[in-house]
Amino acid sequence: MPYKEQLVRDPVPATELYFEARIVISTDVRILAAMRHTIGDLTAVLGWNDTESQAITLAVEEALTNKIRHAYRNRPDGRIQFEFRTEPDALVFLLTDQGEPPDPAKICAQRDSMQVGGLGTHIMKDVMDKVVYRTTEEGNQVILTKHLPKNTNAPGGPR
Amino acid sequence: MNMSVRNSENTRIVDIAGDVDLSGTPQLRKLLFEALKESPKVVINLTAIRYIDSSGIAVMIEALKESQRLKRQFVLYGMNSRVHDVFKLTHVMQIFQVVETEEQALAAGNSHAGGGD
Repeated sequence: MPYKEQLVRDPVPATELYFEARIVISTDVRILAAMRHTIGDLTAVLGWNDTESQAITLAVEEALTNKIRHAYRNRPDGRIQFEFRTEPDALVFLLTDQGEPPDPAKICAQRDSMQVGGLGTHIMKDVMDKVVYRTTEEGNQVILTKHLPKNTNAPGGPR
Repeated sequence: MNMSVRNSENTRIVDIAGDVDLSGTPQLRKLLFEALKESPKVVINLTAIRYIDSSGIAVMIEALKESQRLKRQFVLYGMNSRVHDVFKLTHVMQIFQVVETEEQALAAGNSHAGGGD
């Protein structure tokens, strides 16, 4: 049985889950595929279906990609602190970099369909329930929050 | 991501497979711009794409703009559900000429009908 299918078939009740992880990743774009697999598996365990899981994975990858492209201007030697944790009703991702801060005017600015820039921030905003940008002593942060699915595939039925 | 180019009469067919993300989109952009320079019609086969992010969508928009500048035809086909979802999320579906099969793409005129959401 494929690994991911097994994860979905044998879920732990989401109410009993507490997941927390914190890693530091380099800004080499080749790491993106590994991050996608991690986020995809995590969201599957927490009960999102394939479509939702793919959308969340895409949104989080867009946050990573934005930091690589804009905070570090595609340099592969930057560092991003990547954290996630479950809260009672949500999954929260926190990404921190020490590169150039984002331009507030460009975050989710109005865009037309032929415009190339700003696609990633719109995906994050559309997919996640809450997106917060802030600058702290630790660096530039983006916090992505998604409420846990109402109907998990966990034994015990709907939350 | 794997990319390759085939020729069919006056058309360049670009086959894209695998994961389209920032690790491969600069090369994809170069390939598409070269194809547009060399041929009056460029057809993109999306069938084997497993994943595409906004950098991939951005390259498609850039290639579309270049096709308009050079007065070339730019057609997409084989959009699976994963790719479709991302085009829809980014609200760009209507700007492209999208058909289902390679035969339709090769036969397509420059109507720029778009695929719709």
